[in-house]
Amino acid sequence: MPPQVFRICVLAVGIVGSYLVARYFLTPSSFGQYGWYRGEALAELAAREPVYAGKKECEVCHSDEYQKLIKHEHKTLSCEGCHGPGQAHSDNPRKDNIEKSSFAACLRCHEANPSRPKFQKQITIKNHYTGSKCTECHVPHVPLEVP
Amino acid sequence: MSNQLSRRSVLGRIGAAVAGLLAAPAARAAKAAVQKVFVTSGAPKAYDPAKHEWRMAIDANRCIGCGLCAEACKTENHVPAGPYFRTWIERYIIAKPKPDSGEARGKVFVDSPNGGMHGFPELPVSKEEIQHSFFVPKLCNLCERSPCTQVCPVGATFDAPDGAVLIDPHYCIGCGFCIQACPYGCRFFSPLTKTAEKCTLCYHRITRGLKPACVEVCPTQARIFGDLRQALPDGPLQQFYQNNLVQALKPHLGTEPRVFYAGIDKEVR
Repeated sequence: MPPQVFRICVLAVGIVGSYLVARYFLTPSSFGQYGWYRGEALAELAAREPVYAGKKECEVCHSDEYQKLIKHEHKTLSCEGCHGPGQAHSDNPRKDNIEKSSFAACLRCHEANPSRPKFQKQITIKNHYTGSKCTECHVPHVPLEVP
Repeated sequence: MSNQLSRRSVLGRIGAAVAGLLAAPAARAAKAAVQKVFVTSGAPKAYDPAKHEWRMAIDANRCIGCGLCAEACKTENHVPAGPYFRTWIERYIIAKPKPDSGEARGKVFVDSPNGGMHGFPELPVSKEEIQHSFFVPKLCNLCERSPCTQVCPVGATFDAPDGAVLIDPHYCIGCGFCIQACPYGCRFFSPLTKTAEKCTLCYHRITRGLKPACVEVCPTQARIFGDLRQALPDGPLQQFYQNNLVQALKPHLGTEPRVFYAGIDKEVR
């Protein structure tokens, strides 16, 4: 073999060899586990802690209110829709890490808007009531009850 | 034979064999050490993606445009403030045609002020001029043939075995190809992480057995979520497919969305 051919062969083997060594060391072990991506990415994305605890979590302590809610017209509502995210409150139940719901939470769904479907009960606030407490006349967990 | 097996040659061969045996674990240890530096490892979880097939469905007939879903998504996923949304609500208003114009439908207005998070206050047309008006919640359509995964140059976005289209934040280089490729505008460039971001179906929630945040807070069950592999015949998702005529957005693009809509008009894109 002529020396120049031998040298170019050695160089080629060196380049391919260093590529294979680099690939061996740098490819993450979970690459290709499910497809052409890093399988561990799934576990990493799943590792984050939730902020909303879910309705079932509220039932653990507030079963009386929960039972009222699921038996009446507001049964499809989530607790955290009106009271805000509750994982922190669920981990460490205190009065100051959960919202007290307000006037705005009622209006968010019940203010008249022509784009809303007909089944939704809607009010025009200035024709309906001028105060600031819906709870004077309505019980949010049992909507058709008069307090 | 005996003159061939000298002490030196035997010791040499034993030494070579031991070096060979040690080389493989040493290479493996070296690989692990290198990967610790260059590749971060994640927390393994007892969740098998091959055993699930998640689906979201939208019943636009039931959407009241309250904006709770868009707001919950922002809070749950730490989406940056400003015009960045993983899910949002669009309001469609189709005006009545002008008299004697010879048209079936008038002008179309579409808006989504602040993603619909705080409601839809003022109307661009008066109530009497409206022919149809409705809300359409939007999110990643979770395409089976997703353009975003096809254009990613580094394999950072992928189609997970359980039906979620996800982004590996450690691999994303923030080139923005996927943001341009998505025909539904469901991706954005996060100014915080400097990577592309999108709806993950709340992957950290569904792997724990919770519903995605938007589904959790929806007061009218306009958003339906379920698993096709662990299907209950009377599950909400199965009931949705059973009771509605469904459609996908932009079917002519061949992206095969996994998100089906019921109750939307032809103007919805």
